[in-house]
Amino acid sequence: MEAQGALALAIGLVGLGLWTVLVRRNLVWKLLGLNVAGGGAILFLVALAHREKAGPALEGVPGPHVDPLPQALVLTAIVIHFAVLALALVYVIFLSERRHTQDVRKLEETCPTRWPES
Amino acid sequence: MKVLGGLGIVGLVVLLVWLTWSCFPLGELPPWEEATAAWGSKNAVAAIVLGARLWDTLFEVLVYALAIAGVALAAGSLGTKAVLPPLPETPLLHLAVALLLGPIGVFGLYVAVSGHLGPGGGFPAGALVGSGLLLLALARGTRGLTPGWAGGAWETGKFAVTGAILLLGLGVLVLGARGEPVLVGLNVLIALEVALGAWVVLREFAHVRGEM
Repeated sequence: MEAQGALALAIGLVGLGLWTVLVRRNLVWKLLGLNVAGGGAILFLVALAHREKAGPALEGVPGPHVDPLPQALVLTAIVIHFAVLALALVYVIFLSERRHTQDVRKLEETCPTRWPES
Repeated sequence: MKVLGGLGIVGLVVLLVWLTWSCFPLGELPPWEEATAAWGSKNAVAAIVLGARLWDTLFEVLVYALAIAGVALAAGSLGTKAVLPPLPETPLLHLAVALLLGPIGVFGLYVAVSGHLGPGGGFPAGALVGSGLLLLALARGTRGLTPGWAGGAWETGKFAVTGAILLLGLGVLVLGARGEPVLVGLNVLIALEVALGAWVVLREFAHVRGEM
């Protein structure tokens, strides 16, 4: 039952993060939302690895073990998550230095090469 | 637009819940002990990350190095702002750093070296040492660490470590070597790489803030 609870929380976090990305107009808030959604995805994978009354997938640990494959996947995902977030933050700083705003709507309105109207 | 997006997200959540719940009950694990022992490891995660899926890990290391290089490149073109007020310095932080930095470093090394025997590995160890460095920068201020601690040598070291990981990993893959020394070497190098990357990010952000 713990796994289902964690999975529900993870799916909720993904939904919340995506909602923030969609609704907020500030780029920093969008990145925060993306971070929350990414945390939800990581929690989702870790929760999928869970088994009833399971211990870590180590030799010599008695009883059932958790699934090591999603855990190995998550290990690298966390580090990439951090690096990509840092990169995105630098570009937000870059934009707000040049254009003096973090509001996507203002950025779009004052864009020198606007997207063609559809 | 908002309504459409909200509906889309609700639909996505419902789809995820439906697909996830159809996975239950989750199946039994195939026997993994022998396969793990064949890689010279007791930790199944280490055997996957540094053994069966070493290609993935190598490319992950490459992506990490590229992202950090992107941070350094983009932040370098930003220039330095006017000096912002420095973070407040308290004797509490100074004392905490003096007490904690050594144990954090030793624990990080322990987690990296014993990653194939128990919980741990290069990535958590690198995150540990990186947060130790963050604590150091918070307490002393990055200005206090210049230039000995904050020179460009860190970036060079980072790329040297990345190159070493790629070379060692490719060598292991081509030669088909297995065993404990390979795992320990890769784990320690990955820990160094992650910690150095975290330090480069910290340094670049402090640079943009005008603290250096």
